[in-house]
Amino acid sequence: MLKKILIRNNVTIQGTGSKSMFLVHGYGCDQNMWRFITPQFKEDYKIILIDLVGSGKSDENSYDYDKYNSLEGYANDIIEICDALNLKDVCFVGHSVSAMIGALVAIKRPALFEKLIMIGPSPRYINDANYFGGFSQNDIDDLMETLDSNYLGWSSAMAPVIMGNADRPELAVELEESFCQNNPKIASHFAKVTFLGDNRNDLKKLSTDTLIIQSKNDVIASIKVGQFVHDHIANSKFVLLETTGHCPHLSGPAQAIEAMKQYLV
Amino acid sequence: MNYNLDYKELYNNFPSGYFCSLPDGTIVDSNKKFLDLTNYTREEVIDKKKITDFLSLGGKIYFENVYSPVLKLKGSIEEINFNFIKKGGAKFPVLVNSVEIKDKEGLHLYTQSAVLNISHRKRYEQELLIAKRKANDLSNELIAVNKELRSSSELILKQKLQLEEFNKYLENKNRQLSSFAHIVSHNLRAPVSNLLALSDLYSKITGLEDKDMIFSKVEIVIGHLNETLNELIESVKIQENKDIAHDSIVFDSVFNKTLEILHNQILDSKAEVTSNFSEVANVEYPKLYMESIMLNLLSNSIRYRSPNRIAKIHFYTEINNNEIMLTAKDNGLGIDLEKHGHKLFGLSNTFHNHPDSKGVGLFMTKIQIETIGGSITVESEVDKGSTFKIIFKKNI
Repeated sequence: MLKKILIRNNVTIQGTGSKSMFLVHGYGCDQNMWRFITPQFKEDYKIILIDLVGSGKSDENSYDYDKYNSLEGYANDIIEICDALNLKDVCFVGHSVSAMIGALVAIKRPALFEKLIMIGPSPRYINDANYFGGFSQNDIDDLMETLDSNYLGWSSAMAPVIMGNADRPELAVELEESFCQNNPKIASHFAKVTFLGDNRNDLKKLSTDTLIIQSKNDVIASIKVGQFVHDHIANSKFVLLETTGHCPHLSGPAQAIEAMKQYLV
Repeated sequence: MNYNLDYKELYNNFPSGYFCSLPDGTIVDSNKKFLDLTNYTREEVIDKKKITDFLSLGGKIYFENVYSPVLKLKGSIEEINFNFIKKGGAKFPVLVNSVEIKDKEGLHLYTQSAVLNISHRKRYEQELLIAKRKANDLSNELIAVNKELRSSSELILKQKLQLEEFNKYLENKNRQLSSFAHIVSHNLRAPVSNLLALSDLYSKITGLEDKDMIFSKVEIVIGHLNETLNELIESVKIQENKDIAHDSIVFDSVFNKTLEILHNQILDSKAEVTSNFSEVANVEYPKLYMESIMLNLLSNSIRYRSPNRIAKIHFYTEINNNEIMLTAKDNGLGIDLEKHGHKLFGLSNTFHNHPDSKGVGLFMTKIQIETIGGSITVESEVDKGSTFKIIFKKNI
């Protein structure tokens, strides 16, 4: 069972610390995205990295379109991993959609996480009457068209390499070097679940000690959205980084590490 | 050789777009081709626009979640397909290659990107996709049609087998009917013409005594006629009772019962009757028929024994061609098959001037065996003996 879970989520464990830090990537990428962050925490933490099912080098065959039709499915996977590894008082770091997945875990099993660090979180990407999520209805229509027409990224030149890999083991070496490559069909489904979801009501239920790390220029999750998350989580802190893009842990790792360390002291 | 290349000129007129951006995405320089592709002036782009400004939401999500992380992790990225938005809103597909330029300390200074317009290729790709979809639809349709054909073909085959079986049944029935008609006409013709002659005689003579004598003869003929009719009725009953229940037959016990019934005849004739049912000891068959078959065969063999030698009669079973076969062999009078073969199994046919001759047995035996789906054949030689072979159920 343990082995099955470890393979399913391509779980890797490093570090020598006594405390546990559990980092989960967001939409589109995989655990490689933490490589600028983890060296700074290896001594104090046992670091657990995973690939969400359907991403990176997770077991693609475990991708159940019903189970992962909501973030709940991913949250249950993380609970399973924590239980299987007997983790307690975890510092959970979730980027983007995984910030929300982490929140769902913390609501369901409050004792599991001691601290929750959200990087670029958004509980809802689409604007509505009294809420600014950043995406207009036109944007969403365009996104749906993009996903359906298969025109880029999710079907870019790299994709066939991944898809054809099952019967071409010689490509495994090449894959070792690859980052953030995903099955286009799964990526498209995951995108719909991620960007059409609404977890605003979950924020109030969260009692875990939380840090929100916000990138200054983020076209996916803007400052306004980060602020909203902060306002709706009772026990939360907010830190704004002078970084550009949705992945401050890649575009400004030093600032991200500094913010995390200050919070964890 | 020195061609005095003007690299500035080369850069600007290069047939694909180039631009240079800061780590925050702001475009700080571009060649003329990039501006041509996007329809903007230099003033509108430089220091004002970011890469993401040329992307719609789908592109931005991919840019932020895949393109930028991979560029950070690997330092370069190639062949990324975006849809760029021109001034005015029109979109065109491009392939983007990017590389991070760093200083000696590894600090990211700026990013260089090449943009290749792939509108024609994309259109071709779309056509291929449409063709592929059509081919898929057609293939699915063919698969469905094929499946339908296969199932109808199976149905036809099944019906064909049923028809063949039914045909065999009808052929058999036809044969039986034809032989029945033959027997009926044959066996009724003699007594009826007999009766006609007697009635003719009766009307011509006048003496009362003579008339009485003729009438008594008429009674005898009518008695025979009645007997013949009863036998025919009995045979019709057997033929109609095709689905008669089968019993588990032990050859030995039926044969022993037959020996008991014929005990006196065997003693009187001093016949040596033997059997061997070791090869096939059992068969599923109507018990009544089996008893009747054995009784008829054994009594025939005793009846038509040769007066010149001790009768030897042997019954045995064997498997022949996957069929259970019962053989009854004697060394009796035998039959001239060339002369009498065709009417051997007919009704009331006798071939011997024997006092007990009564031909009903073989006719009934044949009717019973054939009704169950079997056959009876005979090999015989005059004054040598006869061998009857019964197959209980023919393989089809």
